[in-house]
Amino acid sequence: MPTVVKGAKSSADLAALIEAVAADQDRAAFAALFDYFAPRIKGFLIRGNTPPAAAEELAQEAMLTVWRKAAQFDRNRAGASAWIFTIARNLRIDVARRDQRARLLDLEVEDDLEQPAPPDALLLAVERESRVQAALQALSDDQMRVVRLSFFEGKPHADIANELELPLGTVKSRIRLAMNRMRELLGDLT
Amino acid sequence: MSRHHPKDTTLADFAAGTLDEGRSLVIATHLALCGQCRGFVAALEDVGGAMLEQIAPVALSDGASARVLDRLAPRSLAPKAPTAPKIWAADRDELLGYRLGPWRWVSPGLHYRAVDVPAAKDSRVFMLKAAPGLKLPSHLHTGTELTCVLAGAFIHEGGRYGAGDCDDADHDDAHSPVIDAGEECVCLVAMQGQIKFTSILGRMIQPFIRL
Repeated sequence: MPTVVKGAKSSADLAALIEAVAADQDRAAFAALFDYFAPRIKGFLIRGNTPPAAAEELAQEAMLTVWRKAAQFDRNRAGASAWIFTIARNLRIDVARRDQRARLLDLEVEDDLEQPAPPDALLLAVERESRVQAALQALSDDQMRVVRLSFFEGKPHADIANELELPLGTVKSRIRLAMNRMRELLGDLT
Repeated sequence: MSRHHPKDTTLADFAAGTLDEGRSLVIATHLALCGQCRGFVAALEDVGGAMLEQIAPVALSDGASARVLDRLAPRSLAPKAPTAPKIWAADRDELLGYRLGPWRWVSPGLHYRAVDVPAAKDSRVFMLKAAPGLKLPSHLHTGTELTCVLAGAFIHEGGRYGAGDCDDADHDDAHSPVIDAGEECVCLVAMQGQIKFTSILGRMIQPFIRL
């Protein structure tokens, strides 16, 4: 069984901690995940304009979701950080609109039209992660900045234009070019 | 295999959670039918994960960790949530958990049913069912129109759109779609702004479906 790694950072270590929570309800593993991710989720929410007190509450809520849903984590499908990002993002949607949208991002639906990919054709999450890292390196600093603000922090284009003191059209086209580039580099991942 | 996909920025807004609910429903439907776009969304979630790791952490208040540990309830070792059945079938009155209104006649060969998306304030979400060979009235949009084909196919200036394909149209795109011969076409549509028909038939339809 995986043991708790203090200050764990590698993707495999983090995945092992989530798996320990899933398999054994391992509280020490959970505490390690909490120490690593809760302050990051709080930072993530504050960047997206959630007031600090609410961000503190929501970060704890997100970690309780990690505890509840740990069994749904599959390291072959998602990296640990990506999985926890989706939990924090869904919480952000819930709070923003109190609607069902978050559920749509969490759906597991059966493919209607396509045959499932054969196992050897599935790119492992860990491979995808390294491809994603390389793709992020390929973005210019300007592109990276707008991707962070718009995609990660979820800020409206007008706010980004204000923050960066750029015309709205420039912000929009920069985001579009950055996302086109990501698709070029990552579009073959299935 | 889908050939027409949503714009990269639309998928990014979906993955970021900033796309409105109506459009999110259309994208979720497309994703259920398109492995390629699912892969891109998963990659974007990896981007989110990478950024989450890089972000400057903000410390929680003292004792937060202990308080959360106190709240951990023993969990039953429940298996994963069962996979949902097919996303849509002609005889079902729900789509990915959203209630569908009854089919209503609009004009010869054309039917419409509302999709109950409570939070879709700025977009209307509905399904259209059109008979094989039907020519839909030529129209323009004042907002965006996001369409996912569920069955059959239509053809317009942008090409042929078959089951699973997504048409992510901007306000400046003019459309005069024709339904493929042989099979009726069912589409899911999320539309912002107004639709402007340029033909007499279109103007007759307009008040009826309040588009």
